[in-house]
Amino acid sequence: MSFLQPWLLAALPLVSLPIIIHLINQRRYQTVQWAAMMFLLAANKMSRGYARLRQYLIMAMRIAAIAALIFAISRPLTGGWLGRAGGGKPDVTLVLLDRSPSMTQSGSGTGDSKLETGRRQLAESLKTIGSQRWVLIEPGSDRPRELDSIDALVTSPSAGPTSASSDLPAMLLTAQEYMKANKTGRTEVWILSDIRENDWNAEGGRWQTLRDAFLEFSQGVRFHLLAYPQKAPGNLSVRVTEARRQKTGEGAELLVSLKLRREGQGDPGASTDAKETVPIQFEVGGGARSEVSVELAGAEYELKEHRIPLGPGTEKGWGMVSIPADASPADNAFYFAFSQPAPRKTIVVAEDPQAAQPLQLAAAISPDPAITSTSEVVAVSALGAVEWEQVALVLWQSPLPDGDAAKLVKAFVDRGGSALFFPPHSPTDAEFLGMKWTTWVGGPQEVPVETWRGDQDLLANTQSGTALPVGKLQVRRYCGLSGEATPLAGLKGNAPLLARPTTNRGAAYFCATTPAPPDSSLATEGVVFYVMLQRALAAGATVLQSTRQLTAGDSAGESPANWKRLAGSDDSVSTDYPLHAGVYESGDRLLAINRSSAEDASGVLADARVAGLFKGLDFSRVDDQAGSMGSLIQEVWRLFLAAMMVAMMVEAGLCLPRKPAPAVTGSSRIPSGVAS
Amino acid sequence: MFADRQPRSFLDPAVLSRLQNFPFLARRPMQGNVSGRHPSPHRGSSVEFAEYRKYVPGDDLRRLDWRAYGRSDKYFIKEFEADTNLRCCLVLDTSGSMGFGMSGISKIEYARRIAAALGHMALQQGDAIGLSCVAKGLVQNIPPRRNPAHLMAIYDTLEQIKPKGESQLVPVLHELAETIRQRALIVIVSDLFVDPEELKGCFEHLRFRHHDVSIFHLLDPKEIDFDFRRPMRFLDMEGGPAVFAEPSEIADRYRKAVASYLEGVTKIVRESAIDYHRVSIDENYEQVLIRFLVGRARVKGGALR
Repeated sequence: MSFLQPWLLAALPLVSLPIIIHLINQRRYQTVQWAAMMFLLAANKMSRGYARLRQYLIMAMRIAAIAALIFAISRPLTGGWLGRAGGGKPDVTLVLLDRSPSMTQSGSGTGDSKLETGRRQLAESLKTIGSQRWVLIEPGSDRPRELDSIDALVTSPSAGPTSASSDLPAMLLTAQEYMKANKTGRTEVWILSDIRENDWNAEGGRWQTLRDAFLEFSQGVRFHLLAYPQKAPGNLSVRVTEARRQKTGEGAELLVSLKLRREGQGDPGASTDAKETVPIQFEVGGGARSEVSVELAGAEYELKEHRIPLGPGTEKGWGMVSIPADASPADNAFYFAFSQPAPRKTIVVAEDPQAAQPLQLAAAISPDPAITSTSEVVAVSALGAVEWEQVALVLWQSPLPDGDAAKLVKAFVDRGGSALFFPPHSPTDAEFLGMKWTTWVGGPQEVPVETWRGDQDLLANTQSGTALPVGKLQVRRYCGLSGEATPLAGLKGNAPLLARPTTNRGAAYFCATTPAPPDSSLATEGVVFYVMLQRALAAGATVLQSTRQLTAGDSAGESPANWKRLAGSDDSVSTDYPLHAGVYESGDRLLAINRSSAEDASGVLADARVAGLFKGLDFSRVDDQAGSMGSLIQEVWRLFLAAMMVAMMVEAGLCLPRKPAPAVTGSSRIPSGVAS
Repeated sequence: MFADRQPRSFLDPAVLSRLQNFPFLARRPMQGNVSGRHPSPHRGSSVEFAEYRKYVPGDDLRRLDWRAYGRSDKYFIKEFEADTNLRCCLVLDTSGSMGFGMSGISKIEYARRIAAALGHMALQQGDAIGLSCVAKGLVQNIPPRRNPAHLMAIYDTLEQIKPKGESQLVPVLHELAETIRQRALIVIVSDLFVDPEELKGCFEHLRFRHHDVSIFHLLDPKEIDFDFRRPMRFLDMEGGPAVFAEPSEIADRYRKAVASYLEGVTKIVRESAIDYHRVSIDENYEQVLIRFLVGRARVKGGALR
């Protein structure tokens, strides 16, 4: 039970008033000389039975009436909604909306999504509680937005669903910064979320710092979580894994690979094993449509290289794959864009011709006949003349760039290109991206590669899951490396072989040895080297392509200012395009935006885990269901007033003098004598 | 007769003169020593026919009913009732509880009036009158006499007695049953705050001794109604412990206790053939006495022998 005016509860000791009055009354007794003591003593010995019970009941009813009155004027709220939600109007109420695609999931038998229900519930509840200021914090925006009224939470288009995942820790950080900057008074933070693991990122290191930061606020912050943790068993999601244009004899065709996934949790066995025919609809360029039905037996189905014929002149285009509507509409469509692959151009800057040659070779051999790969050796002095906008990869085996060269390479990496650095013969003091070559280390013994990251980045396992033969590499000589970087491969003795410093965009890698035969077997055992280079090249080339697949919320350096929507939902404003799934045209490029892959397979965070995240903070949680009509919070003072009236009526009934005995009053009450 | 004296508070000449019209009769044969208005256990020379009995040698021939002999050829003696005077013993409860009275008069004062009036009436018709005051034992005992000076002594005593101490009515009644000569009229004026079961023994004892027992059971209306509103501290007038009570809480049980007591008393007075009069002290004592006297006149010469 919570109250809007809890300070009035301080009057609760008044319930003892009837007892005090009773005691005072008892003290005001009269003394009388009495003859018929034998009856008094006999009465005292008799069982008090109902008389005593009646007295207690009367007292209880009086106490109950006063208590009910005090409760009524304290304006109680139903639902125990968030414990002590009341406590007067907060100074600022921050609303954190999880607008991730999973929030569009609707409840059974209702058309309302979790987000719509939650917004409505929040608006109603917050309106009842009241606040001086409402501030909305949305995912993907670090600018909190003040709301004129809490009703805007329901009506505002910017509170609607998006295709981007929410980053709850980032939103909380925004909230914390807002509180710090505005020096807010008593603050309430209301979080509306379906507590998906990918949105909450509970394993991330930011939670601890956030907790500590919130604990520092002296004014007290109260967290309320309105959770919609229900999953949708049997919900289908579709995701295009690859869309490739391929030339054929007659013209061209589109090869689309996709994955269908069925949510199985909640009803294991029954739903995952049941066979289901799913019609998949393909739409290319907003016109031609085709449909294919697949039979889904397990939790996942993969359709490989479904062929869709294209017109001979179609160089690039976009398309959409959709499945019939189900509980969660956000994962029923996937957009893709295709085009001719961009030519991959590599620039090699090398001081050692022995090392330059394998670099140039490995970069120039294309893995796919459809892709043109070229590589060019360029001297450091000639860097200014390079057409950087066509370059996908820079291979640098030379003292680290400084001056103008460093600026050029930095700009290239920031644009999204890839750069791979190899140590020079004589390391200098030059520093790039915080990294520096130290000294060469080498001995008669070859140093084996001890560890490498097989799960991601350049040395990741192949698509079939096979590990790259990194362990077979023999490193005879390597150069020390200093600076903050993530090691991707390490030599025996903890020296890094391949490291990646943090960059905003693009990628920079530092390989501690060169492919020159005296240094390592990188060139001779060419598989790892080739894969490494081609992966870096492919990553660097994505920004050069005329089509891009983007994850919603991650605009990848693209500015939405001049985007034009070709497909996607109509209810988003142009500045929010990067948050909404669809196909957009930016100049002559096509951008397909979709939900992140984590959205499809994200579990719900366990209750204990959520409670653990807010440990030490004033936190309360309530679970609701999508489409629920009942209000979360309601004033119930009428109930207490009615209770008070009932208590008073019962008390009055108990106090009524009992029906007098049939005997008459006065002297004639005494029966006259018995004359025998 | 009282010219030189202060008028007694408990005597009202008007009431006495009105009561004069009613006979004060015994319900049982009394054993007096002179002729009077009351039935005697012996046959006598009154005009009231009693019975026939067979002649036995030695009977006075003057009392032979010759007319009966003429009709039946048998000798019958015609017998008549004897009238005698009586000894009236007034037993007055003077225990502390008799001092109670919330109706403008105390029980002891009421008792004085009844006793004085009865004494006056008895003496007027030539009966002997005595007085026993009971509190913690027999505190005063004036044996029955017939002369007016004796009545003065009784009035003096009535005037002087004060209600005090606890009541030892039961042992005193037993004692009186033995000490008063048989066949007397015993009038008890008391609030009878004694266990009815104990009273029963006394009444049986008195009956066994052929006494005609009358009781004026004095009760204050407040004692019955118990209509107090505020919490009260009740002090025992007979020196017992004080009791604190919330009237609204205890009234029901109190009334129940009173009802059960009165029922008990009624039962034993019926069983013991007692002339019982329950009197509320806010009632006019003259009416009470008239009721008493009329009731007795009605049963005169009845079956109580």
